[in-house]
Amino acid sequence: MKREIDNKRESRRGFLKNIAASVVAAGTLAPSLLKADDPNLIEEPEWGKKLGLPVDKYLYGQPSPYEHNVVRRVHELLSSGDMYASVAMCPIHELDGIITPNGLFFNRCHGGVAIIDPNKYRLLIHGMVEKPLVLTLEDIKKYPSESVIHFIECPANGSTEWRAPQFNTLQFLKGMMSQAEWTGVRLKHILKDAGIKEGAKWVLAEGSDNSHMGRTIPLEKILDDAMVVWAQNGEALRPEQGYPIRLLVPGWEGNLNIKWLGRIEIGDKPWHAKEETSKYTMLMPSGKAIRFFWPMEVNSVITRPCPDKPWTHLKKGDVVEIEGLAWSGHGRIKGVDISFDGGKNWVEAKLKGLVLPKAWTRFSYIYKWEGEPLLLSSRAYDEVGNVQPTIDQEVGKMGVENIYHRNAIVTWEVKANGEVHNVQIRS
Amino acid sequence: MFKLDLKRISTFVALTLFATTSISAQPQEIKLQTPPLDKRAVDGAIKYHIKDDVYADTYKINPDAYEIKQFNFGREATKNEIKARDIDVRYDWQGLPDGKGSVEQGDELYAKHCEMCHGEMGSGGKGYPLLVGGQGTLKNQMLKPGDEPPIKTIGSYWPYASTLWWYVKTGMPFPHPMSLTNDEVYAIVAYLLSLNEITIDGEELDDEYVLTKEKLMKVVMPNVNGFYPDVNGPDGPLVMKKFLSDSSNYATPNVRCMKNCPTAKVVRISQPLDDGIRPPLSTKRDLPKKEEGSAQNSKYAKLFEEKCSACHMNKAIAPVPGDKEEWASRIKQGIETLYEHAIKGFKGMPPKGGAMDLSDEDIKGIVDFMVEQSK
Repeated sequence: MKREIDNKRESRRGFLKNIAASVVAAGTLAPSLLKADDPNLIEEPEWGKKLGLPVDKYLYGQPSPYEHNVVRRVHELLSSGDMYASVAMCPIHELDGIITPNGLFFNRCHGGVAIIDPNKYRLLIHGMVEKPLVLTLEDIKKYPSESVIHFIECPANGSTEWRAPQFNTLQFLKGMMSQAEWTGVRLKHILKDAGIKEGAKWVLAEGSDNSHMGRTIPLEKILDDAMVVWAQNGEALRPEQGYPIRLLVPGWEGNLNIKWLGRIEIGDKPWHAKEETSKYTMLMPSGKAIRFFWPMEVNSVITRPCPDKPWTHLKKGDVVEIEGLAWSGHGRIKGVDISFDGGKNWVEAKLKGLVLPKAWTRFSYIYKWEGEPLLLSSRAYDEVGNVQPTIDQEVGKMGVENIYHRNAIVTWEVKANGEVHNVQIRS
Repeated sequence: MFKLDLKRISTFVALTLFATTSISAQPQEIKLQTPPLDKRAVDGAIKYHIKDDVYADTYKINPDAYEIKQFNFGREATKNEIKARDIDVRYDWQGLPDGKGSVEQGDELYAKHCEMCHGEMGSGGKGYPLLVGGQGTLKNQMLKPGDEPPIKTIGSYWPYASTLWWYVKTGMPFPHPMSLTNDEVYAIVAYLLSLNEITIDGEELDDEYVLTKEKLMKVVMPNVNGFYPDVNGPDGPLVMKKFLSDSSNYATPNVRCMKNCPTAKVVRISQPLDDGIRPPLSTKRDLPKKEEGSAQNSKYAKLFEEKCSACHMNKAIAPVPGDKEEWASRIKQGIETLYEHAIKGFKGMPPKGGAMDLSDEDIKGIVDFMVEQSK
């Protein structure tokens, strides 16, 4: 990327040297490169003169080969030194709308991606129930289904930024999240068949992959909106998302949405699993840690422009849409404000498209850019009245060693030449 | 369309002008409503309901599905099925099976199964957790280079020893979980508790110490009181609901300040991490380069990936295929020596890398593949 940007900058400089001074004065903005009598129009393009691919070429469709750079990406610092307990980041800078294509959905796992034979898949439900149950995949799909749209976000999303800005790419700044339409059954319907005993309060949900990861969830959440899902965006879950069955806990830490779900145990006490002790606990400056922290808090980020999608192609005076994503596990997004001066003054952006509970929501602001440098930030607020905090507010309370649940305001520095850099506004 | 843009833009300019010329320069804030506790779910979120067959004012649902009292799908689980799968150990020790193991046995097992990642005596490896030390560091904040971070280990951080037993039994060794017997788990837990200088009934865990179920259940971890809120009582979920509904418990609540808001200085990236990204960042729309045909898809390449790569793709643990420098001296020893080391084990490398299901021929094939990649 660095080299590419450098190349771009070099070629732009070279180009600027060779054209009229007036254009140079117009800005350091890249002029339109489209010449008159464009051969791409004047001449018939090659795809207009020959047959395309036969319809049986890809019986499961593939993206255009020209889209090969739109992929998940990894970094060895974000893993345990291997690619099994690791994460592949979603290219959210390339996404449109609010649905993530299944092949680009971020992938976090703790022992590799398990490939489960759906014919051998079993879900065991036991503990404080009248009738412990074994369900096959076919059994689960017999229950009446619902389809809902929710994001899933790893609570460590953005965790490299606690002390200072480090990644100059949106994919690595906020790519530990994605959103899909999930289809499955509300767990409350299945639990009618098991019958919950008096005194039950907590639920252990455990994956059947090699990490056997378990998490404690309050029964109240399970009976409220938790689901056992088998489909994402209209097709079976991808193995990376827990094929054939994952738990969906809307709005909560990604880690709680147990993939390859194998077991549900009902009990009267919390379990204190490994991801509730050594990891996924929030160490505060007092030296004490918050033990359970479930919802993903109100958050937002501007996706266009961003370091990966800069404004280097704009002409001075272009009208441009500033666009981004806002989300909250506490409910619906109520609104998003935008600042052009690093947070001193704010204006209201517009929400656009579907505004759903516990879901990515697009926001938009139409802006006429004269090539002036900007410090561009977004600040979302949600249905419970929580407002996305500044870095100083967040660090002031939580310190810098928390790892999880970082939702402070993100700021892009837009330079006169249209380059965009990740910066932080902090004391 | 353009008129609208100008209107909005001029509003922004006006706001900015106002901000800079305002005499008072007082922050201007918009207050937001917060719902009372009874309108909130267990996590402090908005509690959604079904009304007129619509859930959360959003999704139409089929109310008949909600009327059904029981579906009677699936079948009743047998005792043996539950016993086979019920592998958790709760903090109150529910689920802990019988067994025993000594610190000395644990030391041997650790060397065989754990040391290649977690280092000698729990000293940690690249990317893999340190297992000892860190006491007294939890208040540390690494704000600038040179500051010490908090070090979260079994001894300094973990509140319950139950989690240690559960984790080792069901998650370790990382490439082969569920392969240790209960007695082996007791031994490794005994060794780890001993390394962390944790005592049981005031007694130090020396080499001869034999850990049993009864003894393990007496362990009180040093940081048992290091976590909040207390969720173990009968009102645990309600405690959490109250905690999460009041954002001042975990955040500095922000307000919608619109003008003259407090701000701070701009901090730019000083140590970018972008270079380690794979594949390198690019938003180009071009055709991919042709992939080279290679041994990548061979049987042994696949076996390597499945059985060996957890360690052999991490140069801190074991030589990575393709790292010519690392492999040169090894290749010099001759292929027969490498076969023998791989099959019988050598230094940190356990016999067959712990993958005892592989035949000697498979191991030789994998070694050939690794050597081929590294010439």
